[in-house]
Amino acid sequence: MITSSPEDIEPDINELAQRLGTARGYKDDLIEACLKSLRDHIDYKCAYIRIPVDLSRENICSFDFAEMKSRNLYDNLKGCSESFVFAVTCGAAVDRYLMKLKVTSQAEYFVTDALASTLADTFCGYAADKMKAGLSCRPRFSPGYGDLSLSVQQPLLERLAARDLLGITLGSSLLMSPMKSITAIMGIRNEKDN
Amino acid sequence: MKKITELIKEKRVYFDGGTGTVLQSMGLPAGQPPELWNITAPDKILSLHNMYFDAGANIVKTNTFGVNRLKFNNYDQLISEGIAIAKKAAQGRKDAYVAFDMGPTGKLLEPLGELRFEDAVSLFADNVKVAAECGADLVLIETMNDSYETKAAVLAVKENCDLPVFVTNVYDASGKLMTGADPAAMIAMLEGLRVDAVGMNCSVGPDKMLDVIEDFKRLSSLPVIVNPNAGLPEIRDGRTVYNIDEDEFSDYMVQLAERGATILGGCCGTTPDFIRKTVEKTKALSYSVPEKKNYTCVSSYTHAVFVDNDPILIGERINPTGKKKLKEALRNDDMNYILSEGIRQTDAGCHILDVNVGLPEIDETAMMKKCVSSLQAVTDLPLQLDSTDFTTLEQAARIYNGKPLINSVNGTEESMSHVFPIAAKYGGGIIALAIDEKGIPETAGGRAEIATKIIARAAEYGIDKKEIIVDPLALTVSSNPDGAIVTLGAIKLIREMGVKTSLGVSNISFGLPKREMVTSTFYASALTCGLNCAIMNPFSEAMMNVYHSFRALNMLDNGCADYIAYASSAPEASQKSTAQAEETLHSAVVKGLKDNASALAAELLKTTDPLVVINEHIIPALNEIGTAFEEKKAYLPQLLMSADAASAAFEEVKRTIPAGQSDSSKAIVLATVKGDIHDIGKNIVKVLMESYGFTVYDLGRDVPPETVRDCALQHGCKLVGLSALMTTTVPAMADTIKLLKETDPDICVIVGGAVLTQEYADMIGADHYGPDAMDSVRFAEKFYS
Repeated sequence: MITSSPEDIEPDINELAQRLGTARGYKDDLIEACLKSLRDHIDYKCAYIRIPVDLSRENICSFDFAEMKSRNLYDNLKGCSESFVFAVTCGAAVDRYLMKLKVTSQAEYFVTDALASTLADTFCGYAADKMKAGLSCRPRFSPGYGDLSLSVQQPLLERLAARDLLGITLGSSLLMSPMKSITAIMGIRNEKDN
Repeated sequence: MKKITELIKEKRVYFDGGTGTVLQSMGLPAGQPPELWNITAPDKILSLHNMYFDAGANIVKTNTFGVNRLKFNNYDQLISEGIAIAKKAAQGRKDAYVAFDMGPTGKLLEPLGELRFEDAVSLFADNVKVAAECGADLVLIETMNDSYETKAAVLAVKENCDLPVFVTNVYDASGKLMTGADPAAMIAMLEGLRVDAVGMNCSVGPDKMLDVIEDFKRLSSLPVIVNPNAGLPEIRDGRTVYNIDEDEFSDYMVQLAERGATILGGCCGTTPDFIRKTVEKTKALSYSVPEKKNYTCVSSYTHAVFVDNDPILIGERINPTGKKKLKEALRNDDMNYILSEGIRQTDAGCHILDVNVGLPEIDETAMMKKCVSSLQAVTDLPLQLDSTDFTTLEQAARIYNGKPLINSVNGTEESMSHVFPIAAKYGGGIIALAIDEKGIPETAGGRAEIATKIIARAAEYGIDKKEIIVDPLALTVSSNPDGAIVTLGAIKLIREMGVKTSLGVSNISFGLPKREMVTSTFYASALTCGLNCAIMNPFSEAMMNVYHSFRALNMLDNGCADYIAYASSAPEASQKSTAQAEETLHSAVVKGLKDNASALAAELLKTTDPLVVINEHIIPALNEIGTAFEEKKAYLPQLLMSADAASAAFEEVKRTIPAGQSDSSKAIVLATVKGDIHDIGKNIVKVLMESYGFTVYDLGRDVPPETVRDCALQHGCKLVGLSALMTTTVPAMADTIKLLKETDPDICVIVGGAVLTQEYADMIGADHYGPDAMDSVRFAEKFYS
């Protein structure tokens, strides 16, 4: 399990600007105030495993919990025989806080929602760096990217015991609760390729 | 054999340990559900149970943790086989019991997830019916990390069998459930639901449970279960292993037993050796039944509120009596207004919120359920369920997430015979009014006598005196000269009986001018007499002054810290006027200063016609920021801040217009279409439309075409806005437009959302494509011009 203090994760300002539809690097008092309040509700957690991946069949990535048919993931994992499989979340309190903001201020809701998405992604990167610990890895790849179906979420989350460790569950449309959660696979390059 | 509920009151009892860990050592492949072995490898499951009984466990958990009808079509077979195997292992052994093991559904309940509360109850109920038929000795509800799902599971057991119920929840390193509840909240709710033992399991090792056990020892009147993991999981060579061995584990279990745990066992990573060593080291320790605790509390899904010497504020603003805006909101199903009142009272410092939605022209039960669910999504304060309708009280108590405060019972037989069964089933503190068939006694002693009668009758339902909070009632001094004296006397008498009190304090001043002066003085007197709870208006400065001063004067506010914070947060009148003098309503809206816009609008309305305020101040300001947005000189957050500020100003304008006379000629129905749950774009349009003075009928997200049509017809609204974010839901948008046009060709439909384009919009028959929220507002303005 990887965790972090809410204060230690700084949002990627450019990613935030993209989500808010503002100019690159844009910051203002509202964003600062929303970030400060949001941090009171964030509880970062990451669960991960390091397991083999078998790429012996074209466009099939075989893990010990599922076979994933995806050309894009297959291409991403080329040169890897192991991978990290992980899930991160900002916690359920963020969802409740967003519900409250939806009632009290659409401006704060809009900005906070974008901030929470950005922070989830930033924490995902932070956790990935912790896992790597000197290993050479491929860029992380999430269900829903390219042709990797969201349906792999179910076995992936079960393999990680994500419900027990992180409180993540899946809805009927395969979206996760808490909303600000991310799952990902990150290939570890074989040593000869490093 | 003794019932397990008797045994746990006589001696320390032991659960078994981990299931998956042992089964994997027997060859269970990673990723395969262990429950399947009930059918395919029953001998191995039998061996597992025997190993645990041989190690000294009294209770084995059936191998049914993850079974439910959502996951397994043959759930009933898996349960019946699982119980049969465990019973076989228990046969012929002394003090050996079979616990039907019931874990979480794997789905999160509303409002955070999408599983409805009653569907969760039904899912668990199907399991329980099979388990009861197959002869389990008890039900263990375990590894629950959500209080609401825990309640659903307990109700399912209680409503479908008479087996004892043990409950263990998962507390993380911060001592809370994943959805926020602390031990006090869980103990309050579970004791109210009348389970037989409570405790914790999984997630952390016994070392991390040492802090949490202190809360259980302090607060629980029930035997306490502790089933920890073998420490924390670590990945070694691709395998999950735990970092505490059986020697260390059992040493910690000794400490947990010494701190009050009376039922010991293990969870993930523990094996029969862990249980054997735990039994060996703890069996000689002295044992005592947990003592009955005598505190009064209610709870939400996060925390408990204790009713004791520190005064409790119960917010009265969600009660339509004398509140025309709330009445209008209830009639119009305007949840936003109701929720805003809840949030404002939470922020104002209330500890509990009263919820009364009784109006003759609405379905009170349905509205109460909706309000309770919605309020619990936006505030974590416990709620006081306030109704004279018994069905409404029952339904609200059922769906409430926590232990509610029930308002109210009185001394009449009709009231007591209806309200006490509700409290007995769902738990709850109960406000007891000092009135009976003969009316309100004229003396303090007479009111105390009714309290005594109510407490005695409650006991017949197993409801303890500590759950009763007596409201001695306050009669207005304008027509009852001794009204205050009698009530204050009754508070003293009831306090001497060891019973808590509550009072709707504002009644005292009814019919008098400058009521706040009388009410706040009466409140101060009542506090001095020992009043515990006041149902009051937290926005009354005079009342809050009394509350904070009383606490500071009575050593209830350490270092007067709360008083100082309160006193320094209230700005002086001169400061307010200086700040506002530099601002106009127009500039406040443009800058997105919500509080200033609200105050300046209120000021302007004293001298200016409401329509002039709208048309010459608010709308021009919105147009200015709207144009800046369109010219990319301002961004969406700024536009939304201005919209928030304009809405706040509009609220002030609305206050000057008599209820029922607001202008609804400019209206729009908004919905995110069926199958789509992304509603942020629709919400942005909503707030902008409202800020421009449109009446918005917001149907929310995932809305079927028929609902959109029905709403447009019901309100005679000719303008409809539909949003969709996902490509897969555009067909649902097309279906909605088709139905609307078939119903009334004059209905105009605006569409928008990330996947929409002008071509798409044309293809599905929309009248207008709104690329952004501002464009939709401009179009709507033109539509009604």
